Parts: sequence; C-alpha cells; structure tokens
Amino acid sequence: MDVFFNAVLSVPTLWLLVAAFAGVIWGILGGALPGISPSIAMALLLPFTVGMAPATAIVLLASVYVGAEYGGSIPAILIRTPGTNSASATVLDGYEMARQGKAGEALGISLISGLYGGLFGLAVLVLATESLARIALAFTPAAYFSLGILGLSVIAGLSGGSLLRGVIAACIGLMLAFVGSDPVSGVPRFTFESADLLGGIKPILIMVGLFAVTEMLVQIGEPAWAKAVKSEARLKLPNWAMSKRLAKPQAIGAVIGTVEGVTPGAGGTIAAFMAYSEAKRWSKNPEEFGKGSPEGVAAPEAANNVVTATALVPLLSLGIPGSNSAAILLGGFLIHGLQPGPMLFQKAPEIVWSLYGGLFFANIAMLLIGLVILSPCIWLVNRPKPYLMAIILALVMTGVYAMHQSIFEIGMVLAIGVLGYGMRLLKIPVLPLVLGLVLGSLVESNYRRSLLISSGEHSIFFTDPVSLVLLLLAAVLTLYTGWKEFSDRKAAS
Amino acid sequence: MNAQQGDRITGVLGILVSASYVAYARRIEDGLLADEVGAAGVPSAVGLLMMLASVALLLKASSRSAGRVGEVAPENTAWASHRLALYLLGVLAAYVLVLPVAGYWVSVALLIGAVSALVGARDVKVIAACSVLGASGLYALFSLLLNIRMPAGLWPSWMGA
Repeated sequence: MDVFFNAVLSVPTLWLLVAAFAGVIWGILGGALPGISPSIAMALLLPFTVGMAPATAIVLLASVYVGAEYGGSIPAILIRTPGTNSASATVLDGYEMARQGKAGEALGISLISGLYGGLFGLAVLVLATESLARIALAFTPAAYFSLGILGLSVIAGLSGGSLLRGVIAACIGLMLAFVGSDPVSGVPRFTFESADLLGGIKPILIMVGLFAVTEMLVQIGEPAWAKAVKSEARLKLPNWAMSKRLAKPQAIGAVIGTVEGVTPGAGGTIAAFMAYSEAKRWSKNPEEFGKGSPEGVAAPEAANNVVTATALVPLLSLGIPGSNSAAILLGGFLIHGLQPGPMLFQKAPEIVWSLYGGLFFANIAMLLIGLVILSPCIWLVNRPKPYLMAIILALVMTGVYAMHQSIFEIGMVLAIGVLGYGMRLLKIPVLPLVLGLVLGSLVESNYRRSLLISSGEHSIFFTDPVSLVLLLLAAVLTLYTGWKEFSDRKAAS
Repeated sequence: MNAQQGDRITGVLGILVSASYVAYARRIEDGLLADEVGAAGVPSAVGLLMMLASVALLLKASSRSAGRVGEVAPENTAWASHRLALYLLGVLAAYVLVLPVAGYWVSVALLIGAVSALVGARDVKVIAACSVLGASGLYALFSLLLNIRMPAGLWPSWMGA
C-alpha cells in the first residue's frame, strides 16, 4: 500500500493538477481530430516542457496520452471517423448506436469504460511493474510472430458470418501493410516507383479512408441521419443494470489490454480488436455485435485505455518505449536528465510517484471533462445533414493533410474510401482488413527475424515456450470459433 | 445485388487482384542483405492465400446456384446513390487539384460550399456563411493553434511576395 500513499501524497501540488487537466484537454482535442495522433499531440507539447519542473513535464505528457487515447473514440462514435488507430474497433458498435439515436449512451459507455480501463491499468502499473517487465523481456521475435498469429486468429469472429470474405479482407490488409521498404533487406516493394510510398502506408490513413470517406460516400445517397430524440441528445451514463452487463466485456478488455500493453510494439489497436472479438465470443448476446451492442463499445474502450498505463511498464522498468507515444514520453524524461529503467526507481522515485499520481488525476480529469464536453458534441452532430457532412469532410481532409503535409496522402485516402465503398457493396467486412493491416508488419518482420536466428528452422516457433503457448491459444480460439459458427448454423437450419 | 452475385463478383475480383499481386511480387529483386525468405516470400504467400479463398468463394457461389435459386435481386434503385457518391468523389478530387493552386483557406471554403450544395442545401447565404466560418475555424485550429503549415497556394507569387 505504500506505493499508493506515496503516489497520492506526491501529487496535490497545484502545478501537477493543472498539468493533468491541461494535458487531458489537449489530448482529447488532439485525439478527436483525425490526423493528430496521441504521439503528435504529445510531440507538439514537448518543446514547452523544457522549462518545467521534471515531474510537471512528465505528468503533462502522460496526461496528453491518456486524453488522446480516450478522445479518439468521440469521432469514432459520432461520425464513424476513428481519431486514433486504437479507436477503430469502437467504430462498429459505437457508430451503430449513434445511428439509432443512442449517441449519448454510447459516449457514456465509452467514457465510463475508458475510466475503468485507465484506473485498472494504473493499478497494474503501480503494483506489478516489476513482475510484468519480465513478460516483456520474455518476448523473442518468435513470440512476437506468434502474438501476431494470435491476433489474426480473431478474424473468424470479425468476419460477419462469412469466413472466406473475412480471409480475403485480411489478405487485402496484409497486402497494404507490405507496401514500402522491405523490413529486412530494405528493397522497395509495391511502391510503383513512387517515393511517397517508400515509407509504407500509415494505418491511420487507411482507417480514415475506410471508415470516414466510405461513410460519407454511402451517406450522401441515404436519407437524413437519425437524430437523437431530445432525452437522448445528452450524455447518458450507464445505469446499474447496464453497468452489470458491461462488467464482463470491461474485464475482458482489462485483461487483454494489460497483456498487450506490457508487450512492446503490440499496442492499443491489437488490444482493442482482440477485446472486441473476445467480448463477442463470451457475450450472451453475440448477435447484437455490429448492430449497436453496448458491450461492443465497452470492451475495446476498456482495453485501449488500460494500454495507456500498462504501455508504461516496459518504459519505466526497462527503458524500452513500446510505442510512438512512449518514445515521446521517453524524450520528456531525457530532456530533464532522467533515464527510465531500473535505476529510475532508485535515483528519482519522486518522479515515479508523481507520474502515478498524475495518471490518477488525469483519469479523473478525463471523466470530468467528458461530462462537460460530450453533450455539446452530440448537439453538433445533430445539425442539418448538408452542413454537417461538409464540415466533417473538410475536417477529415484537413486532418489527413496535417499528418505529413502531403497532398498525395489525401489522394490515397480518397482511393481507400473508394475501396471501402466497393467492399461495402460486396458485403466484405472491413475489420479483418484493419487487423491484417495492423499486424502485417509485426508478423512478417518477426517471422523472418526468427528464421534468421534459427538458420531457417521453423521449429523455433514451437521450441520457444512463449511462442508455443501463443500458437496453441490461437489454435484453440480458431477451432472454438469454427465449431461455434458451425453449431449455430446447424441450429438455425 | 444478392449474396450469390456478391460472392461471384468478390471471387472473380479476388482472383484477378491476387494473381496480379503475386506476379508483381515475383518481380521484386532481392538486395545484398536478403534473407532466406526474401522480400517477395511472405507477400507471395498472402497472395496465394487470397487466391485460394477467392476460388473457394466462387465455387461456393456456383454450388449454391446449382442447388437452389438465390434471392431475387431487389429493384435496382441503387444507381442514384452511386451517382451521388461519384459526384462527391469528383468534388473531393477537385479539392485535391485546387489545394496547391488556391491555397488552404479558399480550397476548403469551396469544398464546404460544394458539398453542402451537393447534399441538398439550397440557401446560398447560409452556404456562404457556413463555408467562410468553417474554413476560418479549421484554419484557426490547425494553422494557428496547432501550428501546422497549410498550403498557401499561388497567392504569394500572384501578389509578388
């Protein structure tokens, strides 16, 4: 319990509280704007932290991370545009709820699940950093490959009843992930001699194209959006009955987010998708998923908010930044002459306690700020369709340009939007594509690294204990999903 | 379009895309640092997997048509929606072309105006106000607050700056 007291006692200096609230506000703004990723939102603030006290600077940056990861879900639910990669799993049921006039309820579930995830992740970070760091160290390239395969094994659950279409979609995602320089030899692949493609296609561009642009292309031919009835046009927090229903998907999200968070490179996106798939698998109402299920919002939101805290485990304990955002935070530490790693707990324990306490207040700030801003956000998306669509498209186009100041990328997003439109017409599910896209590089690069280590012996994937466990888990999940679909179809016919 | 037609079209497109992809992958030349798998190895495997899934989907559609008649396709009223989607795509493509010439503020104001009108807004004054306010708001947010440099277009050269 000492750590809790240390953390709470270290925070209530005015500047740390201000840093937590300001960081969350900035983070929510950045996360909600397509094109401003959590790491960009943090990087924009980094120069301003130079003159600050170290603890204030670190709390400010970490709070931006918390706010941005949560903020990404707001446009995902309201306008089908994930503000961050990890919010893309929230789109499916969150936006469906919004279309049914339940935007306030979806945002309430997202807010409470995010708070739950953030606080759970913080508890894990405070209590189990040392032991969880060993998990991160146990991950060899073979284990990373198997982690990717485990991620891909949920495709069956995301295929909307047609595994073959799901496999085709996942292959398209993998193909898009392979565009750019080869991860081992560096030779260009599928770049069509364009310098703009040498660095690969950023996943967020594809997600914005697939979700936002496609939705606009579909919506233009449809009648006006369903507007929320007056009582639903405000934020609605889950009541007791709903909270009980959400407990299981939130717990699933928390566990998956913990494991994925402490694994450098895995990240919130994979956690969110796996949590969505597992919540569906263990739900009493799996048929509601994809049609506006509250559980389909709660699980990914809990998972990706757990990751905001657990992703700091390898950074604080080993000095390994597992994501872009953690790398920016590492920059914040280094600017102030602090080196994350085992010695940080010995040399500057007050910074660690301040960070823990700051993260606690950042989560509380997220709740309070969410309570204030979400109802006006719902009001905004209930404006007349012509003007709202125009502003959304202008925001999306601006956000895409803002990422790298590239007009080429706007064209690419439009092309991806057309692809998404075609997929919607042919009823090809998009979530397996996103999963393939996110996991493609992880799977390929670690597969090839493993074979380099083992001199071409595939047995490395079975002799590495972590890899073996993950592969067995993937096999069990795949067989279970296949068996369940088969038995459901048999029962239906 | 019924499920059977959808499966057929998806299967045929999948075969065409995967065949082209594998053919392209085979042309990738490995560099000096190449490993045993090579730069084309994993992409080729994914291409083949997609081809197999596409062939299976095509066979599934064929077997269904041999067994029973598929659902009757609904009356084709979707073309009006596709046409509107095409117009919207045209407006967005025009935005991409106009942006480097007219600069950010003018282009995005034109985009907001054009999309509003396309989606059904008729009041010219409201469209104009929405365009000006929307473009100014976005410019303030991205350029002034976030300090992101947006395209100036050819205005500086036209004005002799």
